[in-house]
Amino acid sequence: MAAKGSVVAGHGHGGSGNRKRRRGRGRAIGGRILFSLALAAVLAGVLIPYMWMVSGSFKSSIELQASDVTRPGLEPSWIPRQPTLDNYRNVNRTVRILDYLQHSLVISTGTMVVATSIALLAAYALSRWAFPGRNAYVVAVLSTQMLPGILFLIPYFILFTWLRNQFGLQLRDTYPGMILTYTSFALPFAIVMLRSFLDSIPVELDEQAQIDGASRLRILWSVLLPLARPGIVSVAIYCFIMGWNEVLFASVLTGSHTRTVAVGLLEYITAHEARWTMMMAASIIVSLPVLVLFSFMQRYVISGLVSGAVKG
Amino acid sequence: MPPQASARPEPSRARPGFPVPVPAQPQRRALYKLRRFLVRMGPAYLLILPAVIAMLFVHYIPMAGGLLVSFRDINLFAVNRWYEAPWVGLDNFVAGLDPSGFLGARFWRSLWNVTYFGAVTIFAGYVIGMGVAILLNRPFPLRSLVRGLILLPYITPDSVAYSVWRFIFQARIGLVNMWLMKLGLIQEPVIWLVGSNAIYAVMVAAIWKGWPFAALVLQAGLQTIPRELYESAQIDGASRWQQFRYITLPMLAPVTRMLILVSILWNYNAFNQFYVMLGKDPGPSADVPSTLILRETFSTFNFGVGTAMSVVLMIVMLLLTMVYLRALRAAERGQA
Repeated sequence: MAAKGSVVAGHGHGGSGNRKRRRGRGRAIGGRILFSLALAAVLAGVLIPYMWMVSGSFKSSIELQASDVTRPGLEPSWIPRQPTLDNYRNVNRTVRILDYLQHSLVISTGTMVVATSIALLAAYALSRWAFPGRNAYVVAVLSTQMLPGILFLIPYFILFTWLRNQFGLQLRDTYPGMILTYTSFALPFAIVMLRSFLDSIPVELDEQAQIDGASRLRILWSVLLPLARPGIVSVAIYCFIMGWNEVLFASVLTGSHTRTVAVGLLEYITAHEARWTMMMAASIIVSLPVLVLFSFMQRYVISGLVSGAVKG
Repeated sequence: MPPQASARPEPSRARPGFPVPVPAQPQRRALYKLRRFLVRMGPAYLLILPAVIAMLFVHYIPMAGGLLVSFRDINLFAVNRWYEAPWVGLDNFVAGLDPSGFLGARFWRSLWNVTYFGAVTIFAGYVIGMGVAILLNRPFPLRSLVRGLILLPYITPDSVAYSVWRFIFQARIGLVNMWLMKLGLIQEPVIWLVGSNAIYAVMVAAIWKGWPFAALVLQAGLQTIPRELYESAQIDGASRWQQFRYITLPMLAPVTRMLILVSILWNYNAFNQFYVMLGKDPGPSADVPSTLILRETFSTFNFGVGTAMSVVLMIVMLLLTMVYLRALRAAERGQA
């Protein structure tokens, strides 16, 4: 911005332009240094916790327990004094984190498949039919996203208990129960996002296919699905990450059969023992799927998140 | 959204070749209309049916059930036959809300805590997000990489991010205390995660996790501001602060309004950061409604009182949602 300003000033006053330009260049260099410093500060602020996490994951638990901020020379260090892979090797020893990873994988993948399919059908209806109640339905869907999860949790838990006692239907601590729960959480955002993707596909394509005798589901499958693929993929990733990250419902509704990583990770710290180094190693393992998925589809997810946030 | 929807040609009406003979008798005409309606719109209702069922089961039925439960005395033994539990009128609400009682005092305190927490984190997140959005708005090498990197906190799972911050805030082995000691700001390690300091530790972590989202939204907003506005302001000799104050801020007003309102609503969801960093019971000065209600329900097994408190929270949220929707409509009118 500074450079641009000086150029404009230089053109504006022909005679004194030389001096001004020189001063402008000095300001531009100063501005660039300031800019770089600010950028470095931002990146440092973002990255320091990650560096501390990585550093902690390579320390031995003995080194960490011996460190103390009050004793010079014994402060916790950035570079582990004796780097070790033990935390990664023993990550599953005290906490069954690998089982939890498997649970999370099943639940998140299940949520992804079910929620994306259901949302696609609903978005198709919203996009291609002006049915009475359409706007009311959208408002009803979106309004659920605004209410805190704790509101549903207690009656939902009672509902689960009642269904089990009355009909023998076990939903708590089962995959179907968790997938159903997370599907419903993911639906509002998924429906709205997929609808805006389907809205951007010209309706003439539907009509063309209809003239050729395609049924409505056939149109969705063969005409719209291929064109909306980027949107569907980003919605699917959103659903997966939602299931991977959820804490509140997982802390109440999952047990030993379905405990997810988001909750299981906390088990490294108990009243008796704090296994920080292992927890940091596990943290890295737990974040990897999310980071990989996200970088895989960064652009689509970002545009979706922004539009979703701005539209509600 | 409605303006876009109505701008498109309505597909159902645009469908070609639908036979429309008009029957003679009014009764048959009504029947015919119904049939035609079902043929036209029936598929739409079938298509939304699975989504409706899923959301009914998880959201609407529990919400209605919660209203009933909040007027009953339900404990661990009654929960299996909750519909036979005795009605207790407003007792649960009195127990949960009476400021002179133990629980009521905790509840109002938790409501204050979460409001205070939200005010600080949303404001700080917005300021930092705005600063970074402006910083990243001008081109430089590796800009897209930096834009990706600053999103890391936002996409990191909550339980991971807040576990790392819990580690950082440890008294004896933590990074924060180490730096404060080195700078000479403290002589003794500070206990961050217990007592009155706890809420500030959680604030720092939540700001770190929250500002990238503000930056993301504001970046998108900045890109919609026409460049010519700045160029003509420069010709008029406007300083950079004036450009920010009289161009950037007003042009970002609609985005800001949405961002702040969404953040306020989300704020009352606050649970993960407190639960992960401070555990089930963060103590009175860092308790939030979610942690309090969860404890009251699943540790004390006082389902009725827990539900009553969450109904009150819901009323607060509904009021906020109404404000939110009204603002949304106003913003859409402003854009169109």
